Amino acid sequence: MGRLSFSDTRHLVARTALGQQWGGVKALQGKSRAEAVKILLKSGAIKTPPAPRLTPWAIVNRMSQQSGAGKSRARKMMMREGDKLKSWWMLHLLHTDTPVNEHMTLFWHNHFTSSLEKVMQPKLMYLQNKLLRENAMGNFRNLLHKAARDPAMLIYLDGSMNVKGSPNENFARELLELFTLGRGHYNETDIKAAAIAFTGWGVDRNRGTYVYDASKHDNRRVTFMGRTGSFTGDQIIDIILEKPRTAENIAEKFWKEFISDSRPDPRAIRNWGSAFRKSNYNIKTLLSTVLNSNEFWSSKYRGTLTKSPVDLVVGTLRTLPFPKLPDTELVHISQLLGQDLFDPPTVKGWAGGHAWIDTQTLLVRTSLLNKLTRHSGASAKVQSYLPRTNGAEIVKWLLPLAPVLPLPTTPGKRRMVRALMLDPVFQLK
Amino acid sequence: MNRRDFLQYTSLMPLVGMMPEAFAAGVGHRPDQIVLMVELKGGNDGLNTLIPFRDDHYHRARPTLRVKNGIPLKDNMGMNPYLKQLLPLWKEGNMAWVQGVGYTNPSRSHFHSIDVWETASTRNDEIRGWLSRVLPPRHNRVNGIVLGDNNLGPMAGDSAVAMEDPKTFLRQTKYLNKKHYRASNPSLAHMLNVQNQINTAANQLGRVYNGRRSPVRFPNSRFGRKLGLVTQMIINGMDTPVYKVSLEGFDTHAGQVDQHNNLMNHLGGGLKAFSDAMKKANLWNNVVVVTYSEFGRRVAQNSSGGTDHGAAAPHFVLGGRVHGGMYGKQPSLDPSKLHDGDLIHTVDFREVYATLAQRWWRRPNPWGNAHKPIPFV
Repeated sequence: MGRLSFSDTRHLVARTALGQQWGGVKALQGKSRAEAVKILLKSGAIKTPPAPRLTPWAIVNRMSQQSGAGKSRARKMMMREGDKLKSWWMLHLLHTDTPVNEHMTLFWHNHFTSSLEKVMQPKLMYLQNKLLRENAMGNFRNLLHKAARDPAMLIYLDGSMNVKGSPNENFARELLELFTLGRGHYNETDIKAAAIAFTGWGVDRNRGTYVYDASKHDNRRVTFMGRTGSFTGDQIIDIILEKPRTAENIAEKFWKEFISDSRPDPRAIRNWGSAFRKSNYNIKTLLSTVLNSNEFWSSKYRGTLTKSPVDLVVGTLRTLPFPKLPDTELVHISQLLGQDLFDPPTVKGWAGGHAWIDTQTLLVRTSLLNKLTRHSGASAKVQSYLPRTNGAEIVKWLLPLAPVLPLPTTPGKRRMVRALMLDPVFQLK
Repeated sequence: MNRRDFLQYTSLMPLVGMMPEAFAAGVGHRPDQIVLMVELKGGNDGLNTLIPFRDDHYHRARPTLRVKNGIPLKDNMGMNPYLKQLLPLWKEGNMAWVQGVGYTNPSRSHFHSIDVWETASTRNDEIRGWLSRVLPPRHNRVNGIVLGDNNLGPMAGDSAVAMEDPKTFLRQTKYLNKKHYRASNPSLAHMLNVQNQINTAANQLGRVYNGRRSPVRFPNSRFGRKLGLVTQMIINGMDTPVYKVSLEGFDTHAGQVDQHNNLMNHLGGGLKAFSDAMKKANLWNNVVVVTYSEFGRRVAQNSSGGTDHGAAAPHFVLGGRVHGGMYGKQPSLDPSKLHDGDLIHTVDFREVYATLAQRWWRRPNPWGNAHKPIPFV
């Protein structure tokens, strides 16, 4: 197989990491696809900055039970800590040495969704985030079993309210519809049966940990996906994982994340799903399969994905040394752009793709890039940082496709960078 | 990079972006069926808006909050006296009340419930507003304008703009690219369309902003000013079929009486002025005003002289072609017929939307047989 050009490695990095740092793109140039992917996916130690101080649930509970004033104090404290948590993740996205793993953490946050809005406990959301990060490139089977008993998840999808005699189907439904099989591959009876199997799973509100209460578990015999028995929740998950459709559904999500908004190619999905299953759901194997596929490298799909707010904000600031905005402002901008970390808008997560750009967000995107690239003393730093290379390579570095607006006719590096960043193509990857 | 490089890559892209500006085309045709959505933010107390004044349960549940001097309308229901400016519209048969509007398993969270109303989905699985399912998206133009709020709400999707006010919007749009470009893939085509929608709206708004004003005086309040701006947009021929404004402050947990009366007064006064302005411009037959709110409030008052988050509530519709009267059934206030102290809805809110879709815009009803229209228009 041929050697990768600069545009090729730029494509690989921009779609898998966060932004496209010059050094990272250059380092892979001239390698083969397989080599480059292998280097990119090499696991390094994941270092996160120390987490903000988050009050344990037991203390929050005690405060809220004291009085009305205590309740409102607790609520305000949770809001403050939630904001700190959002800043913490934003900063980590900005500075991480393992951007591919962090990209995947965000991917799983958008898959196994939970929101501060509903869960209310920043500490639990932090622990869920940690779980997603630690398993982001690990094993999907493990991740699924762990996510099902994650305290934030048990609250977000009402699993903790799902008890014998009064089943709550919320988690069971999303498990089948969003987390694994996808719509059209199960029926309402399966949902009811799964909900019964998960009864008794709950959260210890003082410790903030998963607990199983056998007295609340309904061990009645049910029929799930054609099998009859008295099932545990874990058995339900294992039955789901036996279905090829589960691997294919995840493969389709990878298509949307890494290839294109267009309808996935059925043959590619079958191949990827099968590789995923054969590896016993190794996420890195699936990612590597996708990144080595002809679809990933096809010119047909280059520059067709819309950058997410995190891609745009974090990716740009990682790529070019603009003066860093305060972390609270970064969080706020990302919110305005439609991606409020730890608070996805619906259980389906962020719709992404074209939906990132609407009449509100296009204006915010424009004004952000305008503000960043405005001529100022601080932006002069960008000029000295720009790699010594020819103009054509700068265009290829910053844009996935040729610009669609005319470039300035007056020379000047900064003016050029500004023009490239304000070009509509800069919104794509 | 040096000058030679620079010229090298300017020459990579000859002529792109030299096309005429596209957004200037096709503006200025005012639709014949306009809807003005009025959001009552915070959860309006329906029971003190349209009052079941002959119902003993009402008086018992609200010893100090009950409204004793409601304006009797029909069927033992009375209107809050501070809405009295709307009484002429009721008498003219241009005001319809829809009673008991809500949905099954109601949420008492502001955030979640307004989401339900605006997306018309109870399942937290939809981000597009309900109007995007009723009106087809328009190429390079917008279907709706939200005024006084940066949230697209019922118009979320891709065919509306939201603004604090036109002046701010025009300032914000100044830096947006105005040039046409060749969109070589669907993502770029989408971006170009959104860009053109914003620019078209800005273009029209710039014209409207300097256009003629209605001779009608609007109340000098935030709400009144927003309605004045909507009026100016309509009479100057914006081609937008939907507008949305909101009135804030309905979350009346404590000391409700004065706050709520005041809000009713703003609501009645503002909409009366709006109807007068539309009549003066001969457009009253071309508009429908509809109120909505995330929920009504608990039947029983609380211990702070207020009411907590509830469920079903009445809403009203105004317009020259509205068939005035009472629609839907007032839910029972009998404590044994409440659900956790809340009224049980008799009309699903999507029936109101279905009515606008099918009977006002003559569009297919996206809810089919699940939610049928109501003959209020």
